Amino acid sequence: MIPESHFLILGAALFSIGVFGVFTRRNAIGILMSIELILNAANINLITFSKFSASPDGLGQIFALFVIAIAAASAVVGLCLVISIYRNSKTILVNKINLMKW
Amino acid sequence: MSGLIQLLNSHGIPQDFVIKAAFYFIAALTLLFALFVVLSRHIFRAAVYLAVVLTGIAAVYLFLDAEFLAVVQVLIYVGAIVVLFIFTVMLTADIDSGTFVGTLRRMSVAAVASLAIFFILFKVINMVTAWKTAVPAGASISLSQLGKSLMTGYALPFEVISLISLAALVGALVIGKAEKR
Repeated sequence: MIPESHFLILGAALFSIGVFGVFTRRNAIGILMSIELILNAANINLITFSKFSASPDGLGQIFALFVIAIAAASAVVGLCLVISIYRNSKTILVNKINLMKW
Repeated sequence: MSGLIQLLNSHGIPQDFVIKAAFYFIAALTLLFALFVVLSRHIFRAAVYLAVVLTGIAAVYLFLDAEFLAVVQVLIYVGAIVVLFIFTVMLTADIDSGTFVGTLRRMSVAAVASLAIFFILFKVINMVTAWKTAVPAGASISLSQLGKSLMTGYALPFEVISLISLAALVGALVIGKAEKR
């Protein structure tokens, strides 16, 4: 079967790609998409450890369920903020948004 | 997954090879489309690529014997969150303005940083030599087991999650509400 480390490497690669996206994207929606990638990488790790741990009681899968719920909530609130910011300042490029700057 | 294995066995195909090939193909596809998500100049296309990545991750969950999680992934991520992303892209203007990815200097710095993170994680994963490759028999968690532990041992976090969902719902309504003129 597929060794455990290959799942972990897949998760690590996905995490790095998400970090790259957070660094480079100027669009707030793009940053939120990259954060979703990072959360999915965490989920892959959780489920991998749940499957390969010595006493699998499903804790990893339950934790991944909770992460999915939190990710959904954060995406909803984040996208709502993006729409609200766009309504006020007509841009969603994060380097153009300076409402909080003195 | 077990039905597929029975089908393969009846045709004399080595199931181990097929499962491995399918996993590496899906993993490569997922990573490729994840790169497209962060590199695409059009934010709408990035949203569609994100749907492909999330479906690929659902397939990876199948290889980890987490069928319920795979279904939840497709339902919530592909069905709800990607649609939400697409709606937000359409509600905010300049989809095609081409300025969504940063400058070359910022891209190279970010590439070095994220490659360093990946290299460190890769080294740490390979440092541990005691990764188990064999799965003990009957180790996969059934759906009824999962539901029982959600309702008994993890009932409190379950309720907290429902409270958070409610708070996100109300917060999204308050933030997104059109202002009176």
